Amino acid sequence: MKFIKELTKGLIKENPIFVIVLGMCPTLAVTTSVINALGMGFAATFVLICSNAIISLIKDITPSKIRIPVYVVVIAAFVSVVDMVMAAYVPALHKSLGLFIPLIVVNCIILGRAEAFASKNNVIMSIADGLGMGLGFTLSLSLVATIREIIGAGTWLGMRVTPLTYDPALIAILAPGAFITLGLLMALMNMLKEKK
Amino acid sequence: MGYLGQIFVMAMTAIFIQNFVLARFLGLCPYLGVSKKLDSALGMGLAVIFVMTLASAFTYLINKYLLIRYDLVYLQTITFILTIAALVQFVEMVIQKNAPALYNSLGVFLPLITTNCAVLGVAILNTTAFRPDGITAYTFLDSVLNGFFSGVGFTVVLLAMAGIRMRLEKAELPKSMQGMPIALILAGIMALAFYGFMGWKI
Amino acid sequence: MKYYLKLGFILFVFCVVATGILAYVNSLTAPVIAQRKATEEIQAREALIPNAKFEEKESDQGLTYFVARDPETTEILGYTFIAADLGYSSTVQTMVGVDKAFKVLGIRIVDQGETPGLGANCTLPAFTEQFSGLAVEDIYVNKDGGVVVALSGATITSRCIANSLREGIIDVQDEPTEGGEQ
Repeated sequence: MKFIKELTKGLIKENPIFVIVLGMCPTLAVTTSVINALGMGFAATFVLICSNAIISLIKDITPSKIRIPVYVVVIAAFVSVVDMVMAAYVPALHKSLGLFIPLIVVNCIILGRAEAFASKNNVIMSIADGLGMGLGFTLSLSLVATIREIIGAGTWLGMRVTPLTYDPALIAILAPGAFITLGLLMALMNMLKEKK
Repeated sequence: MGYLGQIFVMAMTAIFIQNFVLARFLGLCPYLGVSKKLDSALGMGLAVIFVMTLASAFTYLINKYLLIRYDLVYLQTITFILTIAALVQFVEMVIQKNAPALYNSLGVFLPLITTNCAVLGVAILNTTAFRPDGITAYTFLDSVLNGFFSGVGFTVVLLAMAGIRMRLEKAELPKSMQGMPIALILAGIMALAFYGFMGWKI
Repeated sequence: MKYYLKLGFILFVFCVVATGILAYVNSLTAPVIAQRKATEEIQAREALIPNAKFEEKESDQGLTYFVARDPETTEILGYTFIAADLGYSSTVQTMVGVDKAFKVLGIRIVDQGETPGLGANCTLPAFTEQFSGLAVEDIYVNKDGGVVVALSGATITSRCIANSLREGIIDVQDEPTEGGEQ
């Protein structure tokens, strides 16, 4: 029961992007298309689950003084693994995410969950937390990317979804569009929360 | 184009054309988080310039004389982040001991910088960057200067943002727009303004 | 002091374990990556000049290019090379094929990191196909008086591709061994 609770909290109640506001850089940078957002989301989810699991396993043997460097080493190792595997098997996606794959290391969500959750809970719960947070992250990225891709390119997952007469508003997939889309989405979330 | 000209191009690119925050999306957490007050923004900006310059120097040397020489490039991410973390820790200790006044103003920002993706970002970008001619890879001096100018670019937009947000406190906003949403929309408008620099071929 | 040594030792152990795992993963993925790169390059070359035997050469300017010969008659069919220049936000690499009269047979963008929606559109056929059949003196973007229609909003990317092609072709053309064999 508790497992399910830890799993679902990341989706809405403690959504890493819209509620806790962490990991803004990839949220804005890779949401130019849905496929990039999904790729980034799954890469981060994988790292989150693995690092949460390992950190929860080693929490008793790491002295608290050096816990942050140890966490960073664990996270960086998994990020490098993801980086290499993606370069080998999905080179196109690896290329378009580029710099933002190694930068998962400094994504505050991952270190944040390690410090706030995995270092205090057992392995199973930590995995649930990592999976939930990762999926929440992926979902939010996809939502932003869906809006930007449809408005900015007229496509969704590369398929044309708007009538041919629609001339895509390029600005949505450029940098300014990223900030404005996310700002309006957050305002919308706040409005919905107030109504309740 | 002489070397000074190339440095000028590099500076303009890092500060205006490919601004770290507004065009490359790096260092957004401090950009949105520490831009409520002008003086703390200045402190953060200076600390970032300092660490980015140092980090560029160290990671360049490590990359060239360790990772590439011994064919260990796959360890780049892990060594760079550890170097930056150690560097930040070291700088913090040195400043605390030798310049307490500076520590009081910059100290609180230093630990935050380790997880500032702009620092790791510039270190990784330097390893793959080319001079304007497209052939020559960055030298040691190029990397250090690029780190410095990128930090300056970060500070410029951070200060601009803080200036706007301080005035914005007096504005009456719909409740749902307060805080993060309006900051993001402001950033969007700033990014739009910075797009004016695009196509500025020096 | 002993306590700090212990801390350092624990951190060291973690680093060693992490390095070991990474070295292992790298040994698995590195050959896959290298092989994929090699086959992609060969495929791109063969798509530009089909049924040819390629011979690797280097120009005086340091450009690596391939001479394509008919496997039977050993007659020169054309040349391919990768042209590179700094675009707007990345180095754009273009695989080029030219025939023996140095007219472009086709181009393919093999590597770029330009702005999505603007410069990144340079990989689309609508842009790359207009290069086919061009002679070296025509390869300028329309703003510079040539026939290449620049991508809207991405003149710098378009210009960098055109310029890198032109310079590369002239480079190969100027090789004494190639000019004489026409």
